[in-house]
Amino acid sequence: MFKAKVNKQKLIFFSTAAVLMLLLLSFNSALLAQDLTADEIINRRDENEYVITAYSEAEMIIKNSGRTQTKTMRSWQDGDNALAEFTNPRDRGTRFLKRDDDLWMFFPQAEDLVKISGHMLEQGMMGSDFSYQDMLESDKLTELYDFELLGEEEYEGRPAYKLEGVKVPGKEVSYYRRVVWIDRERFVGLKEELYAESGRLLKVATVLNVEEIEGRWYPTRMIMENKLRQNTSTEFIVNEIQFEPELPEDIFTLERLR
Amino acid sequence: MFFLKMAIKNLSRHKRRTVITALIIAFAILIYILTEGLMIGMTEMSFDNIINLESGHLQVANQDYWDDRRELPLRDLIRPSAAVESELKQTEGFVDLTKRLNFSVNLNNGIDELPVTGVGIEPGQDSQVFELEQHLVEGRMPEADSSEIIMGAKLAELMDFSLGDFAIMLIRTEEKTFNTIDGEIVGLFNTPHPSLNESNIFSSLSTAQQRLNVEDKISHYVLRLEDQDQAVNAAASLTGRLEGELNAYSWRDAAESLVTMLEMQEIETQVILAIILTMAAVGIVNTVILSALERMEEIGMMKALGMHQREIVYTFMGEAAGIGIIGGVMGIIMGSLGLWIFNLNGIDMSALTGGGDINYGFPLSGTIYAGWEISSFIFVFVYGVFVSILASIFPALWAARKDPVKAIYHR
Repeated sequence: MFKAKVNKQKLIFFSTAAVLMLLLLSFNSALLAQDLTADEIINRRDENEYVITAYSEAEMIIKNSGRTQTKTMRSWQDGDNALAEFTNPRDRGTRFLKRDDDLWMFFPQAEDLVKISGHMLEQGMMGSDFSYQDMLESDKLTELYDFELLGEEEYEGRPAYKLEGVKVPGKEVSYYRRVVWIDRERFVGLKEELYAESGRLLKVATVLNVEEIEGRWYPTRMIMENKLRQNTSTEFIVNEIQFEPELPEDIFTLERLR
Repeated sequence: MFFLKMAIKNLSRHKRRTVITALIIAFAILIYILTEGLMIGMTEMSFDNIINLESGHLQVANQDYWDDRRELPLRDLIRPSAAVESELKQTEGFVDLTKRLNFSVNLNNGIDELPVTGVGIEPGQDSQVFELEQHLVEGRMPEADSSEIIMGAKLAELMDFSLGDFAIMLIRTEEKTFNTIDGEIVGLFNTPHPSLNESNIFSSLSTAQQRLNVEDKISHYVLRLEDQDQAVNAAASLTGRLEGELNAYSWRDAAESLVTMLEMQEIETQVILAIILTMAAVGIVNTVILSALERMEEIGMMKALGMHQREIVYTFMGEAAGIGIIGGVMGIIMGSLGLWIFNLNGIDMSALTGGGDINYGFPLSGTIYAGWEISSFIFVFVYGVFVSILASIFPALWAARKDPVKAIYHR
């Protein structure tokens, strides 16, 4: 049965056979030998969650001191670039473009293109608990953090690895320490705690729903809480996601952003 | 000198008319003196605020840091050294120096977050250069190596903080990693520099350095000199003596945008003066034509008796100059009186702006007092007399060119 699944996956991901082979190989070895290293666990999760090319439709439910706003958006992304466009009536046409390490924003009413930098990067994106800076960090986690396996424990009914990552000295990352719970069978993150260098808990991300899409487990509902501010949270729900779609040409250019 | 005597006599022939015409000039001068006085007052107070609370007389920083200083970077910081400090102490008029480290902070009260500027100061030493301590309204300055902080009373009110509360300061280290300082609020200040009250937090330098992972580095040195006028030259000579990328900047460099704004304001004042004096000039033209018309026979007679055309023009010009001088003296007396009354109580900035926080871009708040300069008094007096004389030339020429016979018969 397992073999059959492997074949099916191979067909779906024919174009990215090489990448997939690696993934599947590690999958096999995982079943054979349960003792994975911390870095392997993180990489296995990233293979599931770290999307190279995708098109998705999502909604964001932002709660702030008793007020709730819902924003919907669609987004396209490839390795280094991403474009998000809001589709809810209030923000319709507002677009974000990420190109490598730069972030631009386009406001349709003002027909104005703004580069987000400096102080602005630390603000929450569209009033949410995700900062613009969070959006920009896309390097491989195992290169930025030294991970250590703290143990295995049950999290919300799922068997999970608990790992701790501490920033590699000299790397530029936002969070000094992160503690993650990763599903032992599906290799998706279930919960993540982000800490400041002083040890203070800054943010907690909790995955509420995981779905198997095109043969990979992907978190489709998660909630981000800013622990420095009371009564705020942002729920992020992926309604639709396509991996490896055909992206329109020049989609990640400033000309297209206007 | 006959025409001069004539001019003085003519002035007293229609006293009321002379006084009314002079009054127009006097009013123009009064308005100029008051506007200029307010400008000088605001300028001096703004510069004092910048020097005493923000920039000191001289700042020494890395050239690249200075260009980006508004973004509060942690790049291009300087490492203090005894060699640099002894060089700084050689500066002409040197009084004292202190070290500061500016950094960007997200101030958090558990509900809201506000981006503010954090400043690491050397407790004790900072007060030798800056006047912040004198503006404490509650509590005391932070102690060295502690996580104590002070902030503007206005900022504290906005964020719902009071003395003794802990404020979470979310900062990013040199490697852009989040860190926090749980700052205990030990003092609140209320300075006449509005942006300091609204968006600055001061903590001990050593704590800031440690939490930002910048070792013992600082963003700049600040120097106090004996006199603010020494700063520009001292900055130039110090930059020449300092090694590497270190440069010295005077308070004028620090207040660059304000200096530009003041230059624009100065032009504005001149334009207002020019418009008012043009109106006064119309009055002079009117007066000269009137007196020429009523003295037409006289002019004809004098010309017939051999008086030169030039002398007749001089007579009228002399009369106009007389009006200008009377108006100038009245204006200066009125202006001085006006300034004196203004400065009895000063004017509350918030009254000017309807209780709002607007300060027209000036780094000052509270009560403003006008200043004055003898040179601007002299300038406006001379300018008034000059405009009067200028205005009289054409009507005087018109009168002097009349044929004596026709003039006598008033035709």
